Amino acid sequence: MEGKSATASGEAGAVVAGMKVVVAVDASEESLNALTWALDSVIAPRSGAGVSVVVVHAQPGPDHFVYPVAAHGIAITYSPTSAIESMRKAQEEISRKVSATGAIVEGDAKEAICQAVEEMHADLLILGSRGLGKIKRAFLGSVSDYLVHHACCPVLVVKPTKAHDK
Amino acid sequence: MAEESSAAAAAGEGRMTMVVGVDESEHSYYALQWTLRHFFAGGGGQPQYRLAVVNAKPTAASAVGLAGPGAADVLPFVEADLKKSSMRVIDKAKELCAQVSDALFEVIEGDARNVLCEAVERHQAEMLVVGSHGYGAIKRAVLGSVSDYCSHHAHCTVMIVKKPKHKH
Repeated sequence: MEGKSATASGEAGAVVAGMKVVVAVDASEESLNALTWALDSVIAPRSGAGVSVVVVHAQPGPDHFVYPVAAHGIAITYSPTSAIESMRKAQEEISRKVSATGAIVEGDAKEAICQAVEEMHADLLILGSRGLGKIKRAFLGSVSDYLVHHACCPVLVVKPTKAHDK
Repeated sequence: MAEESSAAAAAGEGRMTMVVGVDESEHSYYALQWTLRHFFAGGGGQPQYRLAVVNAKPTAASAVGLAGPGAADVLPFVEADLKKSSMRVIDKAKELCAQVSDALFEVIEGDARNVLCEAVERHQAEMLVVGSHGYGAIKRAVLGSVSDYCSHHAHCTVMIVKKPKHKH
């Protein structure tokens, strides 16, 4: 399963010699919360120091449709609306605070994100966590588990904030 | 404003706390250095997190393992040795954290997993940072992984810092 990355809309982040942070999102609420938390706690305080942010949306393979576009047969992938929707929400969140790039990677989410992180030479990967229990984790597989073990950079797992914790 | 001052007093200047777990391994020192470099390197400005470095000291009984006839005699020596190694770890951590003015350093006895999760509760930490030995799946299942446990059970965001692997 190969992961190809296609850059979605979004201006190029300021690539200064600073930290490169990749935030992985899917269509879930938790990952958008993770993104917000990450922006507030990690990225915003440092926006002067040249942090570049890349938001990666991992999209399951079988869903995509490939249309040959130009005469010389370059295929672009048509992303289903959920991916575009969550990317757009993410972009809105971010662009109020910092400039960022967006990317959509396909294929198996875990491997695709892992590969993307390697290719982009990220300094930090930020993910949400669905808070699955042990058994669900074993059966459904956990993207955050996989990435914690296999990503080539430090991984930050943002927990869903529990209302009763404060 | 009265509320502001009391809230500030309670939370300690309203900064968030970050707990970093350390043990004697190179991986955890690397994690500590990485954290310092990226979160506490502000020259002049006050760092946004308050740093708490926690070392978990295993109890002598758990370190000795199977109790044999001579176990009771050995315990004091094991205890002394563990204390020494914890002191070494904390001293090295203090050296590394020299630039952070108000860092806390703690040695707590018990199993690393529980110690770190409790430390998070106690400090009401926003973030826990641990290194990772980078064990494969089998070692992880047999030896258990502190970073795995913490990432599932800590009530805050967990950051796991690994030494970069060199792919062939």
